[in-house]
Amino acid sequence: MALILDIGCGRKKYPGSIGVDMSPAGQADVLCDWTKTLPFVDSSFDQVRMIHIIEEVDDIFRMLGEAHRVAKPGARVVIMTPHYTDHASYCSPAHRWHLSSFSLWFFSDQPKEYDYYAPAQYRERKVRVELLRVWRALGFQFLINRSRPLRKFWEQYLSFVIRGKTVEWELEVVK
Amino acid sequence: MARILDVGCGPTKYPGSVGLDMNPNTAADVLCHLDKGGLPFRDNSFDFVRAEHVIEHVADIIATMEEFHRVTRPGGTIFLATPHYTDYSSFRDPTHRWHLNTYSFLYFYPGGMHGRDMWYTKVRVKEVRNYVSLLRLWRALGFEFLVNHSRMFRQFWEHYLSFVIRGKLMEFTFEVIK
Repeated sequence: MALILDIGCGRKKYPGSIGVDMSPAGQADVLCDWTKTLPFVDSSFDQVRMIHIIEEVDDIFRMLGEAHRVAKPGARVVIMTPHYTDHASYCSPAHRWHLSSFSLWFFSDQPKEYDYYAPAQYRERKVRVELLRVWRALGFQFLINRSRPLRKFWEQYLSFVIRGKTVEWELEVVK
Repeated sequence: MARILDVGCGPTKYPGSVGLDMNPNTAADVLCHLDKGGLPFRDNSFDFVRAEHVIEHVADIIATMEEFHRVTRPGGTIFLATPHYTDYSSFRDPTHRWHLNTYSFLYFYPGGMHGRDMWYTKVRVKEVRNYVSLLRLWRALGFEFLVNHSRMFRQFWEHYLSFVIRGKLMEFTFEVIK
């Protein structure tokens, strides 16, 4: 059976996963400060989920380093976070970072001097942007997710008008 | 010969400068973390301090500007380059703490905001140059020229247009007042 880790699981833990959180109020199986270290041995999980948490942590690279450590080689890390043009990015005073669909490019493009900041290696398998209902109905969401150049054009020129909602990544752990 | 400090020099250090970075895999001559203690130099050590794509990363902009000001001689120059907050590059790096615009350093000008000095820092600089570049399409249409042509047009752009005609890179040149 695939072992799945849901970091910051809250009240809606991913079905069949091991939930980690700081608060006992949710469905967590393990209580700990997951922003620092994860209490698991190396290469334990087939999938690691981080749903709406990276925008709140002090150090995103440290979190992704820990997720990389506890994930098996080839495992998938699923990340969701608000796009910086969505109102949700500004709704919570706990949101430290405002991110775009290119915010994790360090990990996949791996320019040499950045190894210092982000030593964990990932391969970007999927990036998907979700838009508000009106834009989705008009076909913009389909277009943006069709190719990287289209997504980049949208990020550079259009995203303050045709605003983003959520960004979702699927990263493959490279060890 | 001008004494030049390149803060956050990365792999391509400014020619003839002292390079400073936190990352050892760079052309740095001095390794130092800006957020952990100040710059390891005496007061007035440099004629020219430059920091390209640094200020948006630091934990405390005021403390960092105070350090830049301290190590620069009176009348010396500080050069900063940083993304405008409407550019996607401002949101492309998960270590960008601050999203800035062309008025973000009014804070350090004599008569700072609305003719009043800001009192959170005593550091003062004079703006020598403030240039914002735009994306290719807007530049081709002449907007970059207009925005940088007059103070009034830049203000109009910041207030009304910048979410559509989006900014890209800002370059500030300051003269150090001591």
